[in-house]
Parts: sequence; structure tokens; C-alpha cells
Amino acid sequence: HRRLPAVIPTPPVSASPFPNPKSQYCCLSRNFSAALTPLLPVQLPSRMETHLWYVVPDEVKSAPLLSKYMELLPQSERDHVLGFRGDQLQKSALLARTLVRTTIARYQVDGHLDPRSLRFKRNIHGKPEVEWETKDGFCPPPLQFNISHTSSLVACGVTMNSLIGIDVEEKRRRTKNNILAFAKRYFTAHEVEHLNAIPDSELQQQEFIKLWTLKEAYVKALGKGFSSSPFNTFTIRVNTAAQESFCASSGIAVETLDSPQNLTNNWQFALLELMGSHYVAICLERQETGGAGKAFPIKLTARKTIPSVEDELVSGTNAVVTIGGSVTQF
Amino acid sequence: MASVTSAASSLTFGLSNTALQMSQSSSGLGYNLVSMGGSLSNKTASFPSLRSRQRSRITCAAKAETVEKVCEIVRKQLVLPSETVLTPDSKFSALGADSLDTVEIVMGLEEEFDISVEEESSQNITTIQEAADVIDKLVQKKGEAAPAASST
Repeated sequence: HRRLPAVIPTPPVSASPFPNPKSQYCCLSRNFSAALTPLLPVQLPSRMETHLWYVVPDEVKSAPLLSKYMELLPQSERDHVLGFRGDQLQKSALLARTLVRTTIARYQVDGHLDPRSLRFKRNIHGKPEVEWETKDGFCPPPLQFNISHTSSLVACGVTMNSLIGIDVEEKRRRTKNNILAFAKRYFTAHEVEHLNAIPDSELQQQEFIKLWTLKEAYVKALGKGFSSSPFNTFTIRVNTAAQESFCASSGIAVETLDSPQNLTNNWQFALLELMGSHYVAICLERQETGGAGKAFPIKLTARKTIPSVEDELVSGTNAVVTIGGSVTQF
Repeated sequence: MASVTSAASSLTFGLSNTALQMSQSSSGLGYNLVSMGGSLSNKTASFPSLRSRQRSRITCAAKAETVEKVCEIVRKQLVLPSETVLTPDSKFSALGADSLDTVEIVMGLEEEFDISVEEESSQNITTIQEAADVIDKLVQKKGEAAPAASST
């Protein structure tokens, strides 16, 4: 079982920070014996806000930096990361854990700023949550988060109080199976119709990915596991005049099959196109509605980050384009 | 595992639930079965009754063949480099499968074996062995439901 060895006095320079089982060394370079740059605190999202943080793995190239990230993780999480086959998978798994820990630490919820000290647990359905230390009457804030990652993007959504699910996917992701065959097997009839109505196969592929990410985000927000909400038991409906594809003004809603006439108003959605290359679907528990059941738009702050190195506020730029749902970017 | 064979080649599968070791005798007579803790002793393994030998051979071959086919489908779906070693314990997620890949793998298995996997069962499919187990169970159920058309 691969483990990080103790610091060895003269490690050779290595391109990869991940211990090669055949080699005794990993790149815990002596030059970087100092800790990571202290994390800059950030303000907690307000009850109406959603924070989206993301890392682009290809932009994190420094092996010593990745080794430092590894040091932030408890042994169990390191083992989990090292259990993935191949450097690229290990890297995105490492960045996912690092992003979650450093992001939550920066909110300084309990006055601390140490990503190492955070503990995580899973709810009874397996959804990860923070396990706050309850001491001296400390009442943990209702901070909610959810992570999603592909090899090319790692993202974390954070809210105060609203259950959240997020899912990211490359726009050009192709299914091995035929889309309509897949949709007939796993999606609902309405969704199959929606896809079937798209004549261009490229656009159809993209619509499929959008639907997939929205459905994933919903199930992850529910937090009850995929077996409690099989994909063919709920429909994602897009409300546009054209009904053919998503556009910026489209409302997205979920309708569960067991109460078909009753569009579930508890959940609101956002669909974003990130950097022109990825779709990000966000599903949030609705906190308050405006008059006559109308929902407030999602207030979104999006930041691209390299943990402990730099942040870039990207909401409102063309790095983050709203393509579905009602979203205001800050 | 003990082995009663002087075969030039042997196929061993670490199947946790069957613990059978298959080997091909050098004379090419087909399979000699050595069962660990099963009812076949080493002696009877070489001379089982024709019927039980064939039934065992079919069961054994089905499981190994199932694992092989699952590996094939997983390799294809995840576009694994040919040097990637797969074992029955290999976890889909560790190989890089996300939820879409897993569902596509299950769909591929359904088509390959002409079965239908309930969404609830597909949650239990996280490794190659687990996939093979679910498939074999479903295939067996199918076989039991249809009028017996056993091969000889």
C-alpha cells in the first residue's frame, strides 16, 4: 500500500509528486520546507448567495505545491488519492480534497484557518459533510458544500443553509452509447422527447450533457444517494417558448414522477458554461420565494483559484456564462 | 491455493466467492476442477460424473467468461491503456470512471448479456467482480424462468 515516505535528506528532482511504488523517493523537496502560504480568509456567503470555486488541474503544475497539498490531508484521504490509477486521476482527486479543505477553512467558521484540522463525515446516505467540533457551546453554522470533478476541472459550491448539489462536465464529453438509446433507458419520456427534437447531433450531444449534469446536481443536492432517486423518476423541465434548447432566460425546474402535476418548487437550478469548455450545473434548495411563488434569482460569486496561491474573481466575465436558470452574478 | 495439475499453462482467477482454480491439462482434455472446501475431492475432480463435471464446467466457465467480458467492456468505456492490469477487485472509480461512465458500463453489460439491471442494484456495482456477480445472478434467473434448454 503506497504511503508518503518521511522526508529524505536528498530527494532527486522528480516530475511527479506522487510516489512511484518502485522508487523510494517522492518530491518533498527540502527547498519547500516552509509551509504553504497562509490562506487568505473570505467572507461567508450570505443566506441568499452561492459561492462557486474552481481549480483547473492543468494550471497546477508545480510538483512541490502538489506535495504540500498532499500534506494537508489526513492519511485516509491520502490513501484514497493514491488509490486512483495514474497521475492525472490522482491529481484531480488531490485537488478536489485540497479545494474543499482550503475553501472551507478560509471561511474561518470557528475562528480557525487550518485546513488540516477539518473533519468530514458522511450522512446516512453517504453525502459528505463537515463535522464541526462542538465545544463551549459553539454552534456550527449551516455551511453547505458540494464538490464535483473531472480530470480537467475541480469545482466546489458553498452556501449558507441551502442544500446544494453541483456537477461539472466537459462540453465535448461523448457517450459511448447512442444518446437516444441511453436516454430511453435512463431518462424520462419528456426528456427523451426534448433530445429527440434536436436535429443536429452535435447540439443533441451537448443538450444531453446539460441534462445529465442537471440531473446529477439534483440528486447530489437531495443527498439521499442515487438509488433513492433513479434518473427516470424525475424530469428536468426547461421553460422556454421554443422548448428546444436552453437559453439564458430559461427557467429550469424539476418534476418528480410521483407528483406529476406538481412542479417541485423546492429546488432551483443554474446552468453555467465555464471557460467555454465545461458545463456546471448547480441545484439549490429554495430558501424564500418572491411574491406569488416566484423565486429570487440565484446570486452567484464565482472564483477561479489555485489554493494558497491565487484567486481570481470571474463572475460577470465571459469565463462564466449563464445558459440556464435565473442567475445574477456578482 | 492447492493445485493438482502439471499443466503447462494455468488460468487462475481470484474469484472470492467461488475460489475455484481452473487449469488446462497438457493433454487438452478440458478442465480439471479443484474445489477448495467444496464437495469435490482431488481424486473425484479428475473423474467426476459426466453430468456434474459439465455443469461445474459451465458454471466455472460462465464466471470466468463473465469477468473477462466485464473487463473488456470496462476497458472500452474507460479507454484504458493496454498495460492497465485489471483484476476482479479493480474499482471502477479508481480506474477513472465517473457516474456517467458507470451507467454506460452497466448499459453495455445489459446489452452484452441481454439482462436488465435495476437502478438499485447498479449502485452495488463498483468493482469488476461485483458486476460479474450481478450479471451471473440475473442470467441465472433468466435461465430458470425460461423452459430448461440446457446444453450438453
